Amino acid sequence: MSIQTIADVEFGAELPTFEPDTSLAACGAFANAVGWPSGRFDDHEAARKQGLPGALVPGIMGLGFLTTTIHNWSANARVVNIDTVFRAPMLADTPAIIGAVVTDIDEDEGIVELDMTIKNEADETRVFGTAKVSLPLE
Amino acid sequence: MANSADVEELRDQFLEQEFDSKDFLLDQDKVLTVAQMSGETRPEFTDPEHPEFQAPPAFLCSLASGRHLPIDFPRLGGIPMDGGKAVTVHAPVPIGEPLVGKTHLADIYDKKGRSGRMILIVARMELYDGQDKHLATTDSRMVIREKPAA
Repeated sequence: MSIQTIADVEFGAELPTFEPDTSLAACGAFANAVGWPSGRFDDHEAARKQGLPGALVPGIMGLGFLTTTIHNWSANARVVNIDTVFRAPMLADTPAIIGAVVTDIDEDEGIVELDMTIKNEADETRVFGTAKVSLPLE
Repeated sequence: MANSADVEELRDQFLEQEFDSKDFLLDQDKVLTVAQMSGETRPEFTDPEHPEFQAPPAFLCSLASGRHLPIDFPRLGGIPMDGGKAVTVHAPVPIGEPLVGKTHLADIYDKKGRSGRMILIVARMELYDGQDKHLATTDSRMVIREKPAA
């Protein structure tokens, strides 16, 4: 169902998700754009030499995946606040499985609250968080 | 103060005091890369010709990756880890216009578990435009696992 206004939102609804690109090239490009050093995000061997399990998806790239999930859900949604906890590293080159569910709806203010997660293939939560999203009243 | 830091003391001494101010001019190509690598397709984040072209929340978080602690903040003994990020968007953040980010500590608290105590520090950067309009707030949550006493 297309979400245009706050009236279209149902409590407990799960947002459609997408498969983000966690390739070494994508993680490296993201890290480079925000001024972070190469190696840790685009080279498994270099990352292991730093004591990491492999190259990582930058934490704020995960926040970007969650924001995109919200924007894809509704063309009218505006992220007012998004708060993420980096529980464990996300490995580059592995699937990042996004989950998002509506946990509160304020129909007077046009605000939706979401619980969001990013899990790995082993169903382990790597990132979790909440978001407040504004939608038109009409 | 390597161990057993007094959180109340730290709060009294450091909370709500601006310790860093930094000027920014957002680079269009870098903003676009961050949006695209995040999977973003909304034109206000991916099309520089869009009338509301703006930086996405993830890019705003990256601006806070400079100095996170006041210069006189004590060493707590453990290695700081990135515990998470939050961003609140008050208004679209434009590209190519002068911005200033002012940072203070918004919270210091601890959590205790079987493996010891962790101290959590929230560094808050408030982002303003050239007219001093508050555009966005980013929180960077640092986690420091206190070293056990020798």
